[in-house]
Amino acid sequence: MLEVEGLCAGYGGLPVLDHVSIRVDAAELVAVVGPNGAGKTTLFKTISGIVPALAGAIRFEKRDLLAVAPSARPHLGIAHVPEGRQVFPSLTVLENLEMGAYTAAGRRDWKDNLERIYAWFPVLAQRARAQAGALSGGQQQMLAIARGLASSPRLLMLDEPSMGLSPVTADEIFERIVAIHAQAGVTVLLVEQRVAEALHYADRGYVLEAGRAVLEGTHDQLASNDRIRQAYLGM
Amino acid sequence: MLAQFVESFLQALTAGLLTGAVYGLMCVGLSLIFGVMRVINFAQGDFMMLGMYVAFYAFGLLGGHVPLGAAMTPYIAALIAGPVIFLSGIAVHWLLISRVTGIRGSALESEGHYAQLVLTLGIALILQNGGLYAFGSAPVSIATPLSSSAWELGPLVGDSVSVFVNQGQTVAAAIALAAVLAFVALMGRSRLGKSLRAAADNPEAAVYMGIDVDRAHRLAFGFGVAITAIGGGLLASSYPFQPYVGLEYVIVMYAGVVLGGLGSVAGAFLGGLIIGLVQQLSTLFLPNQLQNTAIFVVFLAIVLLRPQGLFGTAARRT
Amino acid sequence: MNGGSRANLRRQAALIAAFVLAYAALTAFVDNSYYQLIMTVVPVWAVMGLAWNLLSGYSGLVSFGHAAFFGLGAYFVALTQIHWGLLPWLTIPLAGVLGAGAGLLVGIPTFRLRGHYFALAMLAYPLALLYVFEWLGYQELALPMRRDAPVSYMQFDDQRIYAWLALGLMAGAMALTGLVERARFGMSLLAIKQDEAAAEAAGIDTLAWKLKAITLSAAMAATIGGFYAVVLLIVTPPAVFGMLVSAQALIVAMFGGVGTVWGPVIGAVVLVPLSEFLHAKLGNFIPGIQGVVYGIAIVVIILVAPEGVFWKIRDVGLRRRGRLALPDSSARADAPALADQPLPQRRRSDAPVLEVRNVSKAFGGLNAVQDVSLKVIGGEILGIIGPNGAGKTTLFNLLNGFIQPDRGQILLDGKNIVGSRPDRICAAGVGRTFQVVRPFRRMTVMDNVVVGAYVHAASDAAARAAARAALAQVGLSRETHLLAGGLSNKQLRLLELARALAGRPTLLLLDETLAGLSGGDVDDVISVVRRLAAQGVTIVIIEHTMPAMVRLVDRFVVLDHGAVLAEGQPAEITRNPAVVDAYLGQRWRTAHA
Repeated sequence: MLEVEGLCAGYGGLPVLDHVSIRVDAAELVAVVGPNGAGKTTLFKTISGIVPALAGAIRFEKRDLLAVAPSARPHLGIAHVPEGRQVFPSLTVLENLEMGAYTAAGRRDWKDNLERIYAWFPVLAQRARAQAGALSGGQQQMLAIARGLASSPRLLMLDEPSMGLSPVTADEIFERIVAIHAQAGVTVLLVEQRVAEALHYADRGYVLEAGRAVLEGTHDQLASNDRIRQAYLGM
Repeated sequence: MLAQFVESFLQALTAGLLTGAVYGLMCVGLSLIFGVMRVINFAQGDFMMLGMYVAFYAFGLLGGHVPLGAAMTPYIAALIAGPVIFLSGIAVHWLLISRVTGIRGSALESEGHYAQLVLTLGIALILQNGGLYAFGSAPVSIATPLSSSAWELGPLVGDSVSVFVNQGQTVAAAIALAAVLAFVALMGRSRLGKSLRAAADNPEAAVYMGIDVDRAHRLAFGFGVAITAIGGGLLASSYPFQPYVGLEYVIVMYAGVVLGGLGSVAGAFLGGLIIGLVQQLSTLFLPNQLQNTAIFVVFLAIVLLRPQGLFGTAARRT
Repeated sequence: MNGGSRANLRRQAALIAAFVLAYAALTAFVDNSYYQLIMTVVPVWAVMGLAWNLLSGYSGLVSFGHAAFFGLGAYFVALTQIHWGLLPWLTIPLAGVLGAGAGLLVGIPTFRLRGHYFALAMLAYPLALLYVFEWLGYQELALPMRRDAPVSYMQFDDQRIYAWLALGLMAGAMALTGLVERARFGMSLLAIKQDEAAAEAAGIDTLAWKLKAITLSAAMAATIGGFYAVVLLIVTPPAVFGMLVSAQALIVAMFGGVGTVWGPVIGAVVLVPLSEFLHAKLGNFIPGIQGVVYGIAIVVIILVAPEGVFWKIRDVGLRRRGRLALPDSSARADAPALADQPLPQRRRSDAPVLEVRNVSKAFGGLNAVQDVSLKVIGGEILGIIGPNGAGKTTLFNLLNGFIQPDRGQILLDGKNIVGSRPDRICAAGVGRTFQVVRPFRRMTVMDNVVVGAYVHAASDAAARAAARAALAQVGLSRETHLLAGGLSNKQLRLLELARALAGRPTLLLLDETLAGLSGGDVDDVISVVRRLAAQGVTIVIIEHTMPAMVRLVDRFVVLDHGAVLAEGQPAEITRNPAVVDAYLGQRWRTAHA
């Protein structure tokens, strides 16, 4: 579904991604792990078009994504749930979700999606009229994910959904994500710092380090690989 | 003596509320631009001036053939100024302003500000002086029967205190209020309005939703100058104007927006209303010519003492 | 534009003198009094442009209100002559003093405003003054003719004498600007313009310099305003307080080149005759032609060459001569020389250089830093690590003075620095580099570092010496003349280090100095940091690249969710269960137990 080939990208001349290639097939849950500064968020931002690609190719369902304007890419079915939640703080929870459903597919499936979203995240139903900026970190994360789902995406990209959350809340979020993947059949590309959790649920994974994909494998191949530990902790 | 003061006070209060309502409408337009785009538009007053002239010429062309009776002509003319200035705003944004603002612009925070400030100053100069050429320097206004009639409220206290409420200004104020309410409903309820608010809150996340932020900015700019232009058109039947009138009103509008607090439409309207009151009430103890100076003083006081205004949200983005 | 050599100064002075003489000579050929007037007005606007430039061009604070000072000067000279018969030879310089006072008065409250509010406020001042003066009844103030003492009252029959006087004032303004530009004054302003926060962290007292800039700028504007009154003999509020006056000051400087001595002159020489010519020819058919021309000029310049003609030409010229970048051969070239010297034993004192006690900071509902306490021993290298969002940079911003803690104390050598401004903290011995590099891009490597040296250097020469030493310490001695904007990532990191070092810090805060570097570059920078520590600088470093950190630091403090999670030697820390949890997740730890 998504093919990234030899991607080089960076900010203002400083290259961050160095010939990164990854692949996500339909209905998979693929994890991208790696230490901070490895370029995981930059990868997502380049796929979404916020960061310009300096070289390489990105194809989504056989379509050259780099030829598509950034604000048009979500309409193709890619939902990006960014790092740090990034809700619209002065809009209500419901309005945030409505913005998630900005795409045609989202509007078409609005009623069904909303029902399912409220089933997965009951707290959003309870606080539907509250301002998004007033929610707690965990609730905002749920809102961000729900907002991504509201577009009826074919590919859901989640950037560090557990960041800044307590381990208990992070686990909760994780379980929902896995449930969504299983029940709604959404293809998921997940960036996570908590390696084992990510790899445990993933079909396949990539390890990024200093802008390069240094390791790739199935869940089993990676789970016991000590190279990962070295990448994170240095020894 | 007291009665006379009370009468003057009430008169000033009334005038202040009526003009303040129209100022409020103008401020709402400016606050849209500043709120969504973070752009300081020095040319806002000059777009208003253009709106006044469009209303003036539309008034001439309509010749009294309007629904609801000839007396409503100036107000219909004012409303016509809206779409005309909207289109010109879109054009100006597309050609010029978008080159120094938007996602690109906000990336260079300080450099971006400088460029947009200077660019809109240049546009202001072109509009003012182009207007001088196009419209001539003689002050004009829209003369209508309503603007020279007034209702008398009173006598309120015994035999003496009466307040004259100008009919034309009252209609203008009512239309201004209606326009603000319509705008608030648009921003609050419609998909377009919500997408503009989302783009203002968090442009990057808005892109992730599939919202074309550049287009959102363009629309915000167009709406912003159009709303202010309608306000100008409404003022056109109360006060004479000439091509340089824009500069006076820039400070009035910014004072109102800043007083109300950035990021709040209701705040902008109230801010404009208060500025109108300040302007009229200041005539009670200051000479007429210093009215605007009083506003400047208020503006400086606000930005120095309470920059977030009365209703502003301090931190607006995640 | 580089600070200092005497030869440069003499060359500039010679150029100015040559220009003035050539211009004066030109006036000999002009008989028509209208053209003579234009030749007078050109240097007048050049001075206004230089005045605007001094504040806005160098510091980046856009002023739309210089007309306020201009008008005050004009009215001062006019009124004192009318009411008290004072001579313009006296009152014009006095107008300058008045202008300085006005500038200071305006600056003190207005500099507290951020960018766009500042511009709006500056716009308001001349407008307010315009109304006030109209109300005072000075709609049209005419200076009386004094045939009894024409020279005393600067009333010459030959218009050209005004032009020469104007040239003299212009030469003075150019010389003054040139002196400021080269000195600490100009450099500090430029640093402020490019990155005010980085300038503060480097020890620049930004408010003080801005006030000096506006005082001098206003004095210039008021002086030339006073002269203008004498030339025109009639003063009206719109002519001296009007929008066009401020706009002309701005456009003349912007067109010619902001932040330079010659820019406003170029701008005046080109634009003033052009607009006057258009006004004379077409003013009757197209009223307002001047304003339209200036407006169009502003729009075109800001879109095409925002820094002005001077810089465009210079950039093109520099690019041709390939001076924007040099192949990277920095640290290695110096490494052999320094490696020969034995490393002095690292002293470890007992007293902590830095002590953080129970510091907390919350933003809205988010606890960025929670009850953090730590000590930094003199001479050690302390590493601060933690997952993304753990509060590390917030902690540095607290240490640096950019933000204030809600609770707790920060003791530098025993003194609590909470509440001090960043530049004071820098003066107290704290140097800082930033997560995202913040060089002064338009300045050379040398100038970047010189700015960092001002905080402890008594003279400009001492600052340059300190800068040279700092550059040698990091291995950038060969790149001193390059523009910072063209450097590689590693060179930028080393530049920031040098800038911080030039301030002679006892404590260095390095925020992700290795970010974005690969392989060999990382080693180079690490060896520089080690050398610095060996020379006695205490270092606190935030980093993510663990393999590198583990080799570099003496001790780690691990932050997670804003609180201290663990402390200790690298070996213990990387095996600490809580740390592994925070980084890799609990499941990893149990799987690999």
